[in-house]
Amino acid sequence: MTRDTHDEARELITLGDALSDAQQIWLRHHLEECVSCRDYAEGAAQMVRALRSLSVVADARLVRTTQMRVRFHAARLRETRERMWLVGMACLGVGLTATLTLPLLWRLFAWMGEQAGVSTLVWQAGFLFFFIAPALVVSVVLLARGNHVNSHGQGSRQW
Amino acid sequence: MNAAAYFLMIDMESEARAIARGLRRRDPQLLDRLIEQYQHRLLRYLLYLAGNRELAEDLFQETWLRVLERGHQYDGGHEFVTWLYAIARNLTIDYLRKKRPVSLDGLMEDEEHTPAEPADTQPLAWEIVAQHEQAERISAALVGIPADYRETVVLRFQEGLALDEIATVTGAPVGTVKSRLYRGLNMLMSRLKGAQA
Repeated sequence: MTRDTHDEARELITLGDALSDAQQIWLRHHLEECVSCRDYAEGAAQMVRALRSLSVVADARLVRTTQMRVRFHAARLRETRERMWLVGMACLGVGLTATLTLPLLWRLFAWMGEQAGVSTLVWQAGFLFFFIAPALVVSVVLLARGNHVNSHGQGSRQW
Repeated sequence: MNAAAYFLMIDMESEARAIARGLRRRDPQLLDRLIEQYQHRLLRYLLYLAGNRELAEDLFQETWLRVLERGHQYDGGHEFVTWLYAIARNLTIDYLRKKRPVSLDGLMEDEEHTPAEPADTQPLAWEIVAQHEQAERISAALVGIPADYRETVVLRFQEGLALDEIATVTGAPVGTVKSRLYRGLNMLMSRLKGAQA
């Protein structure tokens, strides 16, 4: 019997119940003949039993703290998702409104430009400003609010 | 396959799918139940992976937060515990990489970073298992073997995972898992023999 055969047998022993039928038959046959591999199998079985007897217990405090943190984090994620949904809906509404009112506003500005006797370039510039002004105002407000929230948040996290 | 095994398998599959649905909804009650159900197994795995109870407890909490965030990625196609361990493992590796630029593979060659002997520097990690002399010796021998081998041995013999499940968790081929198991168990046995001598 070669050393490879013993190595193979020992490798199969460590795999435990993950053996095919053919491997089990071969191993059983080998163990009947080989004393050293039988000793190895016994030692490995003892080792596995000892490993399974080791207990590590999580204490109740750890479990409670984890559950609390997970719930808190879940609430924050839910709030963020709700906020993002609102922002998405607002964007959709604004986009639709802008698309529908764009031709009307364009005609209105053209008519007002004609009535005021200004050049095409001037009323078109006025139209452009009128069209992007709300978005600019909202951006500035959101930026200011964002800065306020950040500085407020940092302050409240210092406890 | 006998009828009992078949129904057990069906039951496990439907439970995995129920967990997947609950995780997609971020159901807090389900998460509470899972935390309680897997508390000891996950902590034990993290403890032997990180080699330090305090760190293992931090990683335990972070693992569940990650489960909450990435719950939608679990499809229920395999056992939840496999997915849970994979998350815990990735977090541990990320932490160790941030702390020191080494991976679990790197730990194998890095004697200095091998988890400390429990009696000397990390007594807290072993307070629970130190009640019995034999448990103490085995634990000491376990932390003395390289991290990859230790992880495979713990997943197989303590957590009872199948070889393919260990391969999923560790990202290693089944052949590598088998050889780590064999070599890891041999190292453990020789270390214990050495300690007894």
